[in-house]
Amino acid sequence: MKKLLTAIFTMASTTCALAQEAASSPLEISGSVDTYFKYDFAKNPLNAKTSFVTDHNSVSLGMIDIALKKKTGKASFVGELSFGPRGQSQSIPDAAAGGSSFNIQNLYVNYEFTDEFSMTAGYMGTFIGYEVISPVGNFNYSTSYLFTNGPFQNAGIKATYKFSDKVSLMAGVFNDWNVYSATRGVSAVGGQLMVAPVEGWTAYINALSGAGFGGYGTIVDLTTAYQITDQFKLALNAANYDIKDNSVPGSYAGAALYPQYAVSDAVTLGLRGEYFKVKAAGVVPETAFTAVTLTANIKSGGLTLIPEVRLDHNKDKPFFNKSGTSAPNGGQFSLAAVYAF
Amino acid sequence: MKYILFGFLAIFSVKLSAQQKKFSKHDNGKFIYYQVVDSQSVSKDSLVQRARSFVDVAYKKSMKPEGSTDSSVLAKGTMVIDKTILVAGHPSGEVSYNFVFEARQGKYRFWLTDMLFIPYQRDRYGNFVPATTIGVPLERTPGKLGAAAWKDILNSTYTKVEKFGEAFKKYLATNRLEKTKKKAETISTKKW
Repeated sequence: MKKLLTAIFTMASTTCALAQEAASSPLEISGSVDTYFKYDFAKNPLNAKTSFVTDHNSVSLGMIDIALKKKTGKASFVGELSFGPRGQSQSIPDAAAGGSSFNIQNLYVNYEFTDEFSMTAGYMGTFIGYEVISPVGNFNYSTSYLFTNGPFQNAGIKATYKFSDKVSLMAGVFNDWNVYSATRGVSAVGGQLMVAPVEGWTAYINALSGAGFGGYGTIVDLTTAYQITDQFKLALNAANYDIKDNSVPGSYAGAALYPQYAVSDAVTLGLRGEYFKVKAAGVVPETAFTAVTLTANIKSGGLTLIPEVRLDHNKDKPFFNKSGTSAPNGGQFSLAAVYAF
Repeated sequence: MKYILFGFLAIFSVKLSAQQKKFSKHDNGKFIYYQVVDSQSVSKDSLVQRARSFVDVAYKKSMKPEGSTDSSVLAKGTMVIDKTILVAGHPSGEVSYNFVFEARQGKYRFWLTDMLFIPYQRDRYGNFVPATTIGVPLERTPGKLGAAAWKDILNSTYTKVEKFGEAFKKYLATNRLEKTKKKAETISTKKW
């Protein structure tokens, strides 16, 4: 304990001394902790077809997430690690196999050549889609089919040019999805066009083509959010993914709409309505899911309580009812507590 | 042991004094940070020129000029509010404000008002960015659930505004030309 405290104070003093020598921001430390209880209406954990919130009738762990950021002059880095089921065994790349280790959320360096132009290299949260791994970045605690089936993270190098506050363009080359080192070389190209047509409305048009899930493929994605009034926000995510070899399952298309309404300073209600189609591949037929999720966010300081009811439907009966036979509908209630610091 | 106790007392004193700082209210009901400064040694024209330079040059990244006359400068600005403990912390939001400066011979005044808070949230890349584009007036009465967090925001904002005020007063008291000349002076080691 003594050694640990000494080490922390030494680090702090060093940071302080360095700060006096060069123009730099303080070391930023932030993160989150989350835990949840979920009850599946059919008492079957296999009814969870999307990422996380998998356990039934259990007070279960999400993850502890710790992020460090430091900026000195024009250079900065972000290092973000998470520990716990949401950040390790339930995220795709596990730093040590077997779900026993941790997940790197972000690990990159950035250099701002000018106020407009910057370059970033390393491992980053994906630029595709609306939802993210960290529960702090999402309104709903459970995740969408679009999130589950799309990339989580991309390692690569990207350049971003900001034409104005309303338009910016990013282009980069990346490894295949969700891996710390490339298995098929730096084999994907991606780009993002950001436009903010009016105050409060931002839209991202994203594309990523190359090595990904199921071989080589191309994903095109639209993610947009509009804060229409003080109380009302509307967001949309739509994506299409095609695997080059059409006999390999995994191609999909879908859209999710996220209306959210703040009923008070502390309470916001939100709905997620999603349609998601898994495309036919070889002998595997097409199948489609619809899902409606009603969520509340109740905030008090850094703590957010997230009660949620979710109903899923698929006419091909991938869900199970109480007797264990296949069913077209799945449903769950969950209550999550997320603390952000 | 007594040094530890002394340290704790010092920290609590700082904390208590931080809690006592409060914005005054303008007669329109909005918070205002208002300062009148005696400045007998600097002419009115120089004061206005320095105030313009403060907005246009020194704080150009966070302030935007809105107009000026021969005795006043108007601007809009934002300042980042952070929760910093010793050397670590992170930005928790930003406060936008209207800035007004007026000069007369021998004195000047300035104030910041119309303050709106926009909370930050961490984005997918680990950076703190505005969570919304619509600011909340600092004068609002928070609900019970958010009262403690709002008090922290008010305290942090007051501290930041006070620092801004001190930086502005220092800038207006400094002759930039003389300062540049002094900087250019070199030291010779040939004679001693």
